[in-house]
Amino acid sequence: MKRILIVDDAATVRLYHREILEAANFTVEEAMNGIEGLEKTLRSPFDLYLVDINMPKLDGYGFLRELRGLDLPQAPAIMISTEAEASDARLAYAAGANLYLIKPVRPNQLLIQVRLLLGEVCP
Amino acid sequence: MNSLLEQFLSEARDVLQGIGDKLMQLENAPDDAGLMTELFRLVHTLKGNSGLFDFPEMTRVLHAGEDLMDAVRNGRVAYSRILADRLLEAMDFVGLLCEEIEAGQGETARHAAASVHLVKGLRELIASDEPAESSPPAAAASVAELAEDFPDLALDRLPEAARMDAYRRACAGASLHWLVYRPSEQCFYQGDDPFFQVRQTPDLLWGGIEARDPWPPLAELDAYCCLLDFCLLTAAPRAALEEQYRYVADQVTFTPVSRFALVLPQGDTNGGPVYDDFATDARNLLAAGDLAGLARNAGTMLELSSPDLWIASALRWLRLVLESEPDNRAVLGALVESLNSLTTPDWRAAGWVERGETHHADAAIAHSPSQVATASSKPAQPDQASAAADQPSADDGFRSALPILPSDAAAALTAIVATQREILALSDQPVWLSGRISAAAAALSGCLRAAGAADALPELDAAVARALAEERGDALLAWLDDWFPLDGLADAGLKANIPVQPAMPVTPTDTQPAPAPATQPEPDSELKFGRRAEDAIAGPKSLKVDQAKIDRLMNLIGEMVVAKNALPYLAGRAEAVFGVRELSRDIKGHYAVINRIAEEMQDAIMQVRMMPVSFVFQRFPRLVRDISRKLGKEVNLVLEGEDTEADKNIIEALADPLMHIVRNSLDHGIESPEVRRAAGKPATGTLTISAAQESDRVLIEIRDDGKGIDPGVIKRKAYAKGLIDETLLERISDQEAVNLVFAAGFSTAEQVSDLSGRGVGMDVVRNAVEKVNGTVSLTSECGRGTRLRLSLPLSMAVTNVMIVVSDGQRFGVPMDSVVETVRVRRAAIRTIKRSLTTVLRGRIVPLKSINDLLGLDAAPQVNGDDELAVLVVRLGDESVGLLVDDFRETQDIILKPMTGVLGGLSAYAGSALMGDGSVLMVLNVKEMLS
Repeated sequence: MKRILIVDDAATVRLYHREILEAANFTVEEAMNGIEGLEKTLRSPFDLYLVDINMPKLDGYGFLRELRGLDLPQAPAIMISTEAEASDARLAYAAGANLYLIKPVRPNQLLIQVRLLLGEVCP
Repeated sequence: MNSLLEQFLSEARDVLQGIGDKLMQLENAPDDAGLMTELFRLVHTLKGNSGLFDFPEMTRVLHAGEDLMDAVRNGRVAYSRILADRLLEAMDFVGLLCEEIEAGQGETARHAAASVHLVKGLRELIASDEPAESSPPAAAASVAELAEDFPDLALDRLPEAARMDAYRRACAGASLHWLVYRPSEQCFYQGDDPFFQVRQTPDLLWGGIEARDPWPPLAELDAYCCLLDFCLLTAAPRAALEEQYRYVADQVTFTPVSRFALVLPQGDTNGGPVYDDFATDARNLLAAGDLAGLARNAGTMLELSSPDLWIASALRWLRLVLESEPDNRAVLGALVESLNSLTTPDWRAAGWVERGETHHADAAIAHSPSQVATASSKPAQPDQASAAADQPSADDGFRSALPILPSDAAAALTAIVATQREILALSDQPVWLSGRISAAAAALSGCLRAAGAADALPELDAAVARALAEERGDALLAWLDDWFPLDGLADAGLKANIPVQPAMPVTPTDTQPAPAPATQPEPDSELKFGRRAEDAIAGPKSLKVDQAKIDRLMNLIGEMVVAKNALPYLAGRAEAVFGVRELSRDIKGHYAVINRIAEEMQDAIMQVRMMPVSFVFQRFPRLVRDISRKLGKEVNLVLEGEDTEADKNIIEALADPLMHIVRNSLDHGIESPEVRRAAGKPATGTLTISAAQESDRVLIEIRDDGKGIDPGVIKRKAYAKGLIDETLLERISDQEAVNLVFAAGFSTAEQVSDLSGRGVGMDVVRNAVEKVNGTVSLTSECGRGTRLRLSLPLSMAVTNVMIVVSDGQRFGVPMDSVVETVRVRRAAIRTIKRSLTTVLRGRIVPLKSINDLLGLDAAPQVNGDDELAVLVVRLGDESVGLLVDDFRETQDIILKPMTGVLGGLSAYAGSALMGDGSVLMVLNVKEMLS
C-alpha cells in the first residue's frame, strides 16, 4: 500500500486530506511541521508528500529543499497552499515540489493527481 | 456533526486562544518579529481551515485579518493598539460564529453586517498605511460591500418632501450620502455626544434615530449604554463628512446615494392607475418631445387626484423631474409607465442607480480561482469501455495514453507533465538539484504507469541517468519533447501553470455544513468520510473527552463510594442478626479491598477532572487590557501560579467571582495615572492574581496597589444604608468595617458604573465562593492597596462529614468546619450574659445547643462522667462549640443539595444517602449560627 505523508500544521487540514486519502486506501501519516516531516521521512521514506507552506519550525519550502537534498529515492511532492500566486508556485517548484495546488482541494481532484503521481491506474 | 467539523471547531478554539495570547504578548513587545510571524501563521491557519467549509462570513473576516497581519509581518503596516483592538474584535466574531456553528445553527446571514464592518475596519488599517496604491481600491471595496449588503437603504421611510429636496440638491450638483452612524455602546464614557455630533452634520437633509435592538424591559435598561443608530441623508461632500466624523470613523458608514434612488412614489394605490388615455397621451407627448404639454397634463391630472394617492405622488415626481432634468427621457418614460403599472420604477435594473464601484477587492480574489480553473475540474466522463480497447504502444507515448484515461484524469496528467517540464527548465543550480530532478522523474514515471505506458519506463530511466550525470534537466526535457511534443501542450501548459481548483462546492442551502460529502459524488469514486482505515500511527498522547462522559463517571464513582459503605453495615448484620461471625469477617476483609480500589478510582477520576487555573486566568490579560483602557488607567497584570490545578467545578465556579473582583479592583481600586502620580506612586498600577495549592485547598489571591478601602467611608456608607446601627458604628474595628463590603446590598461605588457595579456587590462574590465551600477574606491598607484571598477546596464532589447524634437523630457536619471534638464537664460551663460559654485552651468559646438551633425540644445529654459532647466548629475567624449528645465516625458522602420545598431550609447544606439506606441530614453550620 502506498504511503503518503501530510505535512501541515493545521489539524483540520490534515484530517481533511487524510480522510480523502484513506478513503482511497492509501496509508497516511501526518507531521505537524517540516522538522517532524523530515524525521518521519528519515525513519522510512514515503511514496508521496502533501506539504503545506506556512508552518512553524520549518516551513514547506525548507522541508522540500531538505527532502530533495536527502540521499533517498525521491518521491513526488504536492505543495498545497492558500495562495493563488504564480510566484509562490515557482518558489515551490524551485524548492522541489512537483505540483502546486490551492486549498481547498476538491477530494476527487486530489485523488486524481495523487494516483497519477503514484502511477496508479485511475478507476 | 461530522468529525472534520468537530476537528475544525476544536482547532479553531485553540488557535483563537493562541491569537489572543500572542496579541497580548505583542502589547509588551510590539517589535518582536517572531511573535508577529507566529501570529500571522495562526490567522492564516484558521483562514485556511475555514475555507474547507462554507462559512463565507468567517472566511471573509479571517481573510482580511490575514492580509492585515501579512502587511504587518512585512513591515508595510505598523503594529498599533487599534490594530490589536480590531483584530481581537474580529477574532471574537469568529469565536462567536464557531459557537453558533457548534450549537448547530450553522453560519447565518444575519452576521453579514457585522462581518462587513469588521472587514472594513481591518482593511482600513492596511489601506491607511499604503496611501499610494491600495487606498482607493480599499475604499471602493467598502463602498461596494455596503452597496451589496445594504442594498436597501430603506429610503422610502423618508418623507417625500425631504426626498424631493434632496433630489433638487443633487440635480444642482451636490453629492448625496447616506450615512449610518452606529455609536459604540460605550460612547458616553469616551466623551462622545452622538446626538450633538449628528446635529452638526453639514448639509443634513434628513435624519432618523432608531434602536439598534428591541428595547429591554425598563428594569434591565442600562441608560449609560448607547443603543441607538443614526441614519442621515446629507448633501455634504464626502470629505466634509469624513472630517465631521473623523473621531468615530470606525462607527460610521457612508453610502453614496444616486438621486434616482430617491424617486420613490408612495401612497394609497386603491385609487387605481391613471386612465389609459392619460398614459397614452403622456407617452405620445414624451415621444414628440412636448414636455410642456406633458407637464400641463400632469398638472391637470394631479388636481383631479387626491394628494394621498400613489399616482399623485408619482405625478409630483414626474413634474419635478420635468422641471429639473427635462432631457432625461428615460427617467420620464419610466415614471410615465409606473403611473400605469402602479409600481415603483426599478432604477437599479434600469442602470440609473449605481451599485458603487464595480471593483471589489474581496470579490476579485474570490473569483480568480474559478477564472483560472483548469479543464480538469470538469466532471468525470469515464469512457473506459472504448478506452480499454486500444492499449497504447510505447511509441505513442503519453499522447496516445490520454484517451484511455477519464477526461479529468487526462487533463490532470497533462497539467502534471507540463509542471514537470517547467521544473526541469528551471535554471538555478541549488544543492538539492539532483533530488529535484529525481522527484520530477518520479512524478513522470508515475504518470507513465498510470497511463498504462510502463514500457516507456526504461527510456525514462536512461534519460534521468543522463540528466543526473549532467546535473541539469535538459536530457529529461529532451526526452519529454520526444514523448510529448510541446505544441500539443500549448494550452495544457497554460492551464498547468497554476492548477487551481475552484472553491469546494458545498450545497449552499444546507444548514448542516458538511463539506466533504457535499461534493457531488461521482459514480466511480468512493469517498467515504468519518471512518478511517486501521492505521499504524501511534495515537495522540492526550485525549479530548466529552465532559458529559467524565461527569457520568464522576457520578458513578460517587454512588460506588456510598454503596461500598453498605458493606460494614452488612457485616454488622451478619454477625448481630444471623450470628455468622466468619462471614462477617470475610465481608469486612472484602470491604477493605473494595474501599481501597474505590478510593483510588475516585482519586484517579479526580485527577482527570483537575485542570489548571490558567483556564480561568487566561482571559484576564484581555479583560484587564480592555477595561483599563476604557477607564483610562494603566495597569500591569501579573499572573502567578497559573499551573496550579483544581477540580473542574471549582475552576468554573471561580470564573465569575474572579472576574468581578478584578473588575472591582480596576474600577475602584487602581487610580488613574494622574492621581497615582500625585500620590507618589508609579503611574502604572499593578494587579497581581496568584494561585497556589495549600494542602487540600487552592488559594487565589488578587492584589492591587490601588487606593485601598477607607474603613471610614465604609462605616458611614454602611450606617447610611442601615446595615449597622450607631453603637456598632462606634465600636466596629477597621477590619470589621472593611468586611462590611461583603454584606448584602452594599456597594461602595459612589456612582454605578458599567463595569463593576450594577447594584451587585461583593456579597455575590462571597456567596459564589461559599457555594463551593470556599472562603473569601479581604485586607486593605488605605492608600496602599487591597488584597483578596479566596480559599477553595481542591475538589467538591465528595464531602467528608463528621456524624453527630442529638436527640436520637444523626446529623452530618462538614469536616471543613470542624475544629475539634471535646468533652466538657458540666461544671466547666458558665453562663455569661445568658449565653453558655466554656474556656478551651485559654480561650472563651461560646456554646450553642444544636437542639435549640434546630428547634428540637430536648436538653443536651451528658455521658456517664457528667460530660457534655462539644463539637468545636469554625465560624469565620471564631470558634463556636456545638453541644451535641454524642460523636460518631467521619464518612465520605455525596452531598445532594436540598431542592424544592426543602430548599428554603438554610440550616441544612443538603442530604446524603448512607450505606444502610438511611438519609443523613448535613448541617450548614454557618447559616445555622448566623
